[in-house]
Amino acid sequence: MCAARVQEQRWASKYPWLGTGPVSSEPCISPSVFEQEVEKVFKRVWLCMGRVEEFPEPGCYKLKQLDFASAGVLLIRGKDGVIRAFHNVCSHRGNTVVVPEGEWDNFGKKGMFSCRFHAWSYNDKGELVGVQNQDCFHAEFCKEDNGLTPIRCEVWEGFVFINFAEDPDVGLQEYLGDMGQHFTGYPYHELTYQHTYYTYLNCNWKIGVDAFAEAYHVNTIHAGSFPGTFSTGLQMVKLLGDHRTTAICFNPPRDGPPMATLSQTRARGSLVNNVNGTTLPPTINDESRDDFSFELSVFFPNWLLHVAEGIWFTHQFWPISHDKCLWEGKYYTRAPTTHSERWAMEAAVCLQRNAWLEDTATMEGTFYALRSGAKKQLHLQDEEILVRHGYHVLDKYLDSEA
Amino acid sequence: MSGALPDGFGDLETWVDEWSLATQNARWDKRLASSKEEITAFYEAVSPRVEAILDHADGFALGALPEDSERLYDLALMVAEIAPNVELYQGDPNVPYSFEERRFIAVHGESEH
Repeated sequence: MCAARVQEQRWASKYPWLGTGPVSSEPCISPSVFEQEVEKVFKRVWLCMGRVEEFPEPGCYKLKQLDFASAGVLLIRGKDGVIRAFHNVCSHRGNTVVVPEGEWDNFGKKGMFSCRFHAWSYNDKGELVGVQNQDCFHAEFCKEDNGLTPIRCEVWEGFVFINFAEDPDVGLQEYLGDMGQHFTGYPYHELTYQHTYYTYLNCNWKIGVDAFAEAYHVNTIHAGSFPGTFSTGLQMVKLLGDHRTTAICFNPPRDGPPMATLSQTRARGSLVNNVNGTTLPPTINDESRDDFSFELSVFFPNWLLHVAEGIWFTHQFWPISHDKCLWEGKYYTRAPTTHSERWAMEAAVCLQRNAWLEDTATMEGTFYALRSGAKKQLHLQDEEILVRHGYHVLDKYLDSEA
Repeated sequence: MSGALPDGFGDLETWVDEWSLATQNARWDKRLASSKEEITAFYEAVSPRVEAILDHADGFALGALPEDSERLYDLALMVAEIAPNVELYQGDPNVPYSFEERRFIAVHGESEH
């Protein structure tokens, strides 16, 4: 034994079955582990694709490229109000139906989805309704059997999830389980004023998830934007099925900077102050701590949901290859009603963006360094229990049959 | 009079041409292209007036500012952009120890609302 145990290890005591030893660095750098992750995790579990508010009217669609599955996922709200997911592949000869533009999600609204190749057209339910020169096709062709290929799609609390499996192991409610219960009842649908950032990172997706799944880094990484702010350690850690959640608490700075202080008098936009309010469901901060700031959670595999009084935000890391991923950070508040409120939210978002710039700073360097193979193991302390749990759950999936 | 500001704010008109910018992307680019001395001078001149600017802007419905008030309000939004750099990062116009800022894409970055 090298190190004396200096304090009670709260989370290892609560969750002894996770163990306390180092974890392997191999899953963060290995192309073959990545291939297994795609088949055994990302093509089998429920993945969060967005919010119902992104589809305000029938015919509204969102096209998201998911490179790990070589798939363009086309989500459409039907005239019946239901949001459905399809592969963006024409049933004729496989062209893309909605042609993707740019390097990120495409949004739009259409009455009909027509392939540019030969003008086959699909309605809001993905049904094939128009075939040019249909009389020239042979008896084997049946229009009714050739709608867009559906992808399983279910909604929880206004979040739209898909599952690539034809017959998923469990439905979305069961997949989320107690974690879904824990986060039910927050007014996500009322706090829809959204700021979104994204970037493509040259690192493994788990390096991104892990960097956000602990608060041990705050005193170093956020010495600039959040000096001494969130350093009380994790509270109320709960490991819920394949998912994990914790409270992050708050040390109010003695003298806040002038503009940040002004912004807090004008609107609830920043995490860096305490307020009383009514948005949090009773499951969040169930110990009623006065210093509660926000709940930090990881929904396995790649989605982090955070809720605070009057603010919620998400991170998502979409794998592209073992050495590349897409990060999306989304920050939500109540829509401003005055210019003061709008200014205060701009101030809060600028500071939050800067904090995310601090968070993402280590990710590519970590990946590059790990690829050297110099470190076969990663040492996790008690406050990094969410990271430890992530590898435990990943192992469970990788050990299973595809 | 493209740089005119509402009554009572005429002393800030000297900042309008370069610092009154309508989108977050434009304000972000301006910060990254500025020196420590430039953002500090702007902060020292305009930040003491932000409270008065907001009170002025709140005299209008959200999104319904007249042109001169819009120019003034955009100066306050520019203060929001550079305030962390002056107040927390010792005047560094970049976020210290950060990811390459220009690789972050703001989906809302071109919006004027």
